[in-house]
Amino acid sequence: MKRVLAVALLAVLVLSSFAFAEKTQITWWHAMSGSRLDVVNAIVDQFNATHPDIELTAMFTGSYAETLTKFIASYKTGTAPNLVQVYEVGTQTMLGSGAIVPVYKVPGMVGETWDWAKYIIPIRNYYSKDGNLWSMPFNSSTAMLYYNKDLFAKAGLDPNKPPTTWKEVEEYGQKLRDSGVTNVLSFGWPGWILEQMFTSHNQLFANNDNGRSGLATEVLFNGDFGTMVVDTWTKLAKEGIFLYGGPEYSANTAFKSGQLAMLLQSTSSLAGIEKGSQFAVGTSFLPRFEGYPMGDSVIGGGSLWVRKGQSTKELKAVWEFLKYLGDTDVAIQWHKGTGYFPTVNSAVKALLDEGWFSKDQNFLTAFLQILSGRRDTAAVKGVRLGPFVEIREIERSAIEKAVSGVLTPKQALDEAAQKANQLLKDYAELNS
Amino acid sequence: MQEDRFPGHRFLPYLLILPSAAIIIIFLIVPFIQSVQESFFTTNPFGTKTIFVGLRNYMRLFASSDYHKSIVTTLIFSGFVIMIGLSMSLAIAHLLNQKIRGRGFYQIALIWTYALSPAVAGTIWALMFAPATGIVPYIVAKLFGGYVLNWMTNGKLALLVVSAAATWKMLGYNIVFFLAGLQNVPGELLEAARVDGATGWRTFWKITFPMLSPTTTFLLFVNMLYSFFQVFGLIDIMTRGGPGDATNILVYKLYRDGFIHMNSGSASAQSFIIFVVISIAAVIQLRVATRKAIYSR
Repeated sequence: MKRVLAVALLAVLVLSSFAFAEKTQITWWHAMSGSRLDVVNAIVDQFNATHPDIELTAMFTGSYAETLTKFIASYKTGTAPNLVQVYEVGTQTMLGSGAIVPVYKVPGMVGETWDWAKYIIPIRNYYSKDGNLWSMPFNSSTAMLYYNKDLFAKAGLDPNKPPTTWKEVEEYGQKLRDSGVTNVLSFGWPGWILEQMFTSHNQLFANNDNGRSGLATEVLFNGDFGTMVVDTWTKLAKEGIFLYGGPEYSANTAFKSGQLAMLLQSTSSLAGIEKGSQFAVGTSFLPRFEGYPMGDSVIGGGSLWVRKGQSTKELKAVWEFLKYLGDTDVAIQWHKGTGYFPTVNSAVKALLDEGWFSKDQNFLTAFLQILSGRRDTAAVKGVRLGPFVEIREIERSAIEKAVSGVLTPKQALDEAAQKANQLLKDYAELNS
Repeated sequence: MQEDRFPGHRFLPYLLILPSAAIIIIFLIVPFIQSVQESFFTTNPFGTKTIFVGLRNYMRLFASSDYHKSIVTTLIFSGFVIMIGLSMSLAIAHLLNQKIRGRGFYQIALIWTYALSPAVAGTIWALMFAPATGIVPYIVAKLFGGYVLNWMTNGKLALLVVSAAATWKMLGYNIVFFLAGLQNVPGELLEAARVDGATGWRTFWKITFPMLSPTTTFLLFVNMLYSFFQVFGLIDIMTRGGPGDATNILVYKLYRDGFIHMNSGSASAQSFIIFVVISIAAVIQLRVATRKAIYSR
């Protein structure tokens, strides 16, 4: 009996492997956890259901850093996935890796043409090199101002007039403090917010056109503009208006619990903040410094990279999926489920048509901010650095040292620039 | 001459240890040699270009203020975990060794922390101290007129909380060993001391503590390894080395440099430095402590 069963099982296995042999197996490694994971899985399931000849396996491989580390290790041993999600600070690492096919070449390799202009321009610019897109836009966000309308009203401020400039942040901050708010303003991702200040005032963060015309060899954040920015934050910290809230999303809890009046944070937190807050949440553009030129806010998040050395069949399947992600309905599903930008223009139109933005204007804020800025300079496209992961930590550490008074802003930035420049030198030594 | 334990099978003993030896060579010795070798090179993330840099990785580390800070942090952290941890465990084990009702319950209640994974322990402590929602900041705010206890911004507090969590996590393990040690202290000796009129305190220091020295030596060593290496999970869950670099102990810095900043040369150099330091400490500890420890009755 047992033997019969075993033979039968074997037969089924053999037959089914024949049946599946028709399917092209591809894998995608990503770093989307929590509620984003559910959205990713839903999209992958739909893709597999509508593409019977492709079997896409999406795998959560840990944080962004872990996913990149795993990709590198697997690439060396020839077990790398077909597609991998990499955070924006890993962009230069991927560009110089020799392990990828630039995404703009993929349609040609599978005998198709593609209109890249359908992707929203600031996102396209961010991931482009010499005018061509090197990785597929996927989860893109930017930073904006969140504020607690109830606390504004309580302080006698117009809840529909959030601060436009840092000077107003200070004035409003005093009024909010007078009304009994102890924590006025905080940030998520402090290093990234510093970079946002540079792009939104059209200031270069590093030389060689922000590392976009050649490898950056020197950071510029310890110049006059950077010092002025960190000086302002330090002053606000001394006045009890700016409360340093730690890296990444650690300040969100305080904002959601109504203890913080204003928060500068990624747009990808919007869905979570609205869900978790008991008060009216307002959003607006990032505060500006008066007298400096107009720039644009900068992209954050991640994009998808196509691994080098795939068969045409696999590449075709990967390309099908990348096209699928740019499908209007899928892009809308992704935006609504996560708060990340929809990456294609058609999705923005459809969202507008269905009244999504008028139902909740907060979803429009970041869009208007990033689409209304300038985009004709290297400064606004955002900086590209080789050892960016580490440099962003160095920026954060400098901000921490300045606002806590360990060093003066200038000293902290000079020290950070010195460390960053050494890293850039090491990177150039290995990648030129 | 050694006694021939396997008469007629000259190669059998070697064959028998072969699996263990192979595992040690493949998984410990070969990677160790590789990482020593890597510490003299600098490599880009994908390993497509490697440059020999001699001792540069080491020299940069010794010149780096961040590395100095990490050493100091590690020493404070380890010192706390070893000293506070061992003395607390010994005190608790001593109490648990008393003949009281419900002793079994107390023993289990105090030992179970060891069964927790570092991730779970880290999450429990992180939730307890969460600045806006945790129970501890809440109580502190109630008691001290709204004082904001925020370990996300207060480096010293973060180091204290992480040290306390690491100590708590190891408490159960230490207690088990101390308890076993205490139960092995011969009753006649204690009785004799009591008959001679020695106080409890004196009996403990003159008889029990010396009798425990093998256990203490062993635990010192295990706790040192624990506080240097095994706390990685706890740090990663709770602070990721922050705020600033306040809890960036050596092993966590190594991980960040190697796996997040992709600087394998520097990470290899760091691992070799830790290896040397731990080896020296182990030799000193075993020499000194073994000489002092009383193994025979």
